[in-house]
Amino acid sequence: MTFNEQELVKGCKQRNRIAQKQLYDVFGGKLFAICLRYTKNRADAEDVLQDALIKIYENIDSYRGDSPLEYWLRSVVVNTALNHLRQQKYVKELDDIDYHLNGIADREFTLANFQLQQLLELVRELPQGCQTIFNLYAIEGYQHNEIAQKLGISEGTSKSQYARARALLQQKLNKETRFDDGSVRNKQL
Amino acid sequence: MDPSGINNFEEQWRKALSEASETPPKSIWENIEARLDENSEKGAVLPLWWQSKKLWLAAASVAALLIVGAGIWFSDSSKNGQNRIEVAGKATKSPATERTNTPEADRAAAQENTEAVASNAPDNVEPTDSKSVIKENNQTLTSATTSRENIGNSSGRSSASRVNSHSSIAAAGKSDIARVENTVSERNRDFAQSNNPASPGISSNEIQSNILAKTEISENAIAVDMLATPAYNELDIHMQKRYVFFKPDAIAKDDIKPKKHTEYWAGIGLMPASFNPDVQLKKTPQDFSYQALSSRKAVTASSEAGISYALQTHGGVRISKHWSVELGLSYLQGNSSYEGGGYLINSKSQSTNVLENALADASKGSSYGGGTDKFNNGALYVDITNKVSNNYQYLQMPVQAGFTLNPDKKLSYSLLGGMMANFFLSNEIEAASGDIITTKASDEIYRSMNWAATTGLRFNYRLSSRWKANLTGSYQKAISSGFRSNQTLDAHPYLYGVAWGVRYSF
Repeated sequence: MTFNEQELVKGCKQRNRIAQKQLYDVFGGKLFAICLRYTKNRADAEDVLQDALIKIYENIDSYRGDSPLEYWLRSVVVNTALNHLRQQKYVKELDDIDYHLNGIADREFTLANFQLQQLLELVRELPQGCQTIFNLYAIEGYQHNEIAQKLGISEGTSKSQYARARALLQQKLNKETRFDDGSVRNKQL
Repeated sequence: MDPSGINNFEEQWRKALSEASETPPKSIWENIEARLDENSEKGAVLPLWWQSKKLWLAAASVAALLIVGAGIWFSDSSKNGQNRIEVAGKATKSPATERTNTPEADRAAAQENTEAVASNAPDNVEPTDSKSVIKENNQTLTSATTSRENIGNSSGRSSASRVNSHSSIAAAGKSDIARVENTVSERNRDFAQSNNPASPGISSNEIQSNILAKTEISENAIAVDMLATPAYNELDIHMQKRYVFFKPDAIAKDDIKPKKHTEYWAGIGLMPASFNPDVQLKKTPQDFSYQALSSRKAVTASSEAGISYALQTHGGVRISKHWSVELGLSYLQGNSSYEGGGYLINSKSQSTNVLENALADASKGSSYGGGTDKFNNGALYVDITNKVSNNYQYLQMPVQAGFTLNPDKKLSYSLLGGMMANFFLSNEIEAASGDIITTKASDEIYRSMNWAATTGLRFNYRLSSRWKANLTGSYQKAISSGFRSNQTLDAHPYLYGVAWGVRYSF
C-alpha cells in the first residue's frame, strides 16, 4: 500500500477519521502481531491493541516526526502491553533463577521452516516473565539494563529470565524440528 | 560462532517476528471507532501530557523564571522612575502655560494634557532627551496622573499644602521612595530653575508647590508602575512562551469531569434450569390419615427437580463504572415431579395420590373443586413409590444490582444480586388416575405473587461496541411459601439455571 506518512500523521492530528482508518489499515496487522506476542490469549491481545490505538489517536500530537512513525507506534503498543501485564499482575516478582547462556549460544539453527503461527505459539507458551523479557530483548532489541528499568527488576533477573526463555525455546524448537522433518540435528541440549 | 549473525538466535527470531503481521478482527476497528466517537462527543480529550509530572516541573520552572525576571525588572524600575518623573516635570509646562483650566475640569483636562504632553514635549524640552524619554514612558496612565496633579497645583494654590502634607507622610513612611524623591526634587528644582525665565508668571511659591506636587507624582508613578503591566517590548521571549505552554483556554475547556458511564441496554436470553418447588406436606392429608401406614408414609414424599426453562428479557442501566441496575420480565416453565407417598384406591376404583389429596384439603373452602371425600372408609392404600409430574408456570420480575469487573474489557464479569417477584400463572399435577389437574391463580390455592431472592454470576463477552453475549449462572430461592395457607402444604421453590443471552447497548 502506498501512502504518504506525513499526510497520514497530519490527518490523524486533525482527527480525520479516514486518516485514522488508513493508519489502522496500514499498521494494524503489525501492531496486532506485537500484541499477540506479549499476551497469552487473543482476547487480551485485542484489548491491548484497542487501548494502544486509542492512545495513539489521542496522543498523535506528541509524535514529532523525528523517528519513523512505525517506531513510535510500536513503542506505544509495547508500553501499553506492559501496562496491561502490570494491571493483570502478570509481571510479578521475577525470580533470579540460575540460568546461563553457556552451551546453548551460537548453535547453528534456522527458523525458516516454521510458520509464523507456530513461532508465536512458542513465544506465548513461555512463562509470562520469560515471554515479556524475550520479546523486549530479542525482538524489540532493548538492552537488559533498559528492560530492568522498564519492568522495575534487576538487570541480573532480566538476564537470567532471558536465558531461561532461550533455553525453553530451544527445547521446544528441537522437539518441533524433529517432528517436522525427522532430523535430529539439534538433539543435544 | 557465526559472525555474520545470520544464524544468531536473536537475529533469527527478530527476523521472523519483528515484521510479523496478523490481521486483527473486524470488531477491533468498530470498537475503536465507537470509543473515538464517544470521546469526541465528550468534547476535547484531556491530553495526557496534562497529567505528566514533567509538565508541572516545567511550569514551576517557568513560574520561577517569571518571579526572578520580575524581581530584576522591578529593581531596574527605580531608574525608569526617574525618567518618568522627568517627563512629568516637563509636562508641567503645558498646564503652566494654559492656566485657564479649573479644578472641576481636571479630568477632561487630564486627557487633553496627556495628548499635550505627547505633542508638546518635543517642543518644550531638549529634543534629544525628550524623544527617548517619551518613547520609553508612553504609558498613558503615568502621564495622565502626572498631568492631572500638575493641573490641580497650577490652578488651585490651596492644594499645595495638601500635597505637602501627603508628601511628608509618604516620605516618612517609605524610605525607598524618599530616596527617589530626593533625586526627583533635585531634578525638578533644576527644571524649575531652567524654566523660570521661560514662564515669568510662575512665582517661587508656585515652583515650590510644583516641586512638592512632583514628589507626590513620583510616588504615584512608582505605585502605578507596581500595578501597571510592563511594556510589551520589555518582555522576554520566555514570558510570551508561557501562554503557549499553559494554554489557559485549554484549562478552561478541559474541566476534569468524572467520566460518565451511563449506558442503557436491553437483552434477551434463554435459561435452561433445574427447578424444584420443594413441596412439603406439613400434615398428612385427611384421606390418608385414616390408616396408620398411609398416614406415616404420606409425609415421606418429596419433590424432585425437573428440566425447566425460562425465557428472559431484561433492561438495565449502568450507573457507574462498575455498578448497574437491571429489571427483567421472564416466563418460567418449572417442571418437577413429586415422588413417594403412595396412593389410595377405594371400592369404586377411584384413586388419589398424596399431592392431589393434599391440594384438595388445601382447597377446601375455596373454589377449587377437585376434592375427594370417598377415601375415608375402606380405601386401599397402595404403598408404592410413584412419581407424578408437578409443573408450574410463573411470570418473573427480577430487580437486580450488578457489580462488574473489567467493565471496559472484552471479557467482563458481573456479580448480580436482587429480588424477584414471581407471579403464579398455573400449576399442573398429575393425578393418580393419570389426569392432569390444573390449578390457576384464580383458584386461590397458590399465592398470586411470592418473593424470591436471586443471585448470579455473569460473563459478558463484547461482540461489538453495541452487542454483548452473556452467560449467566443464577440461583433463585423463594423466601415466602408458594401456598396461601401453609397448614397442609408448604413450598419454597428454588432454581439453578444457566442463561444464554445477548444484549444491546444504547
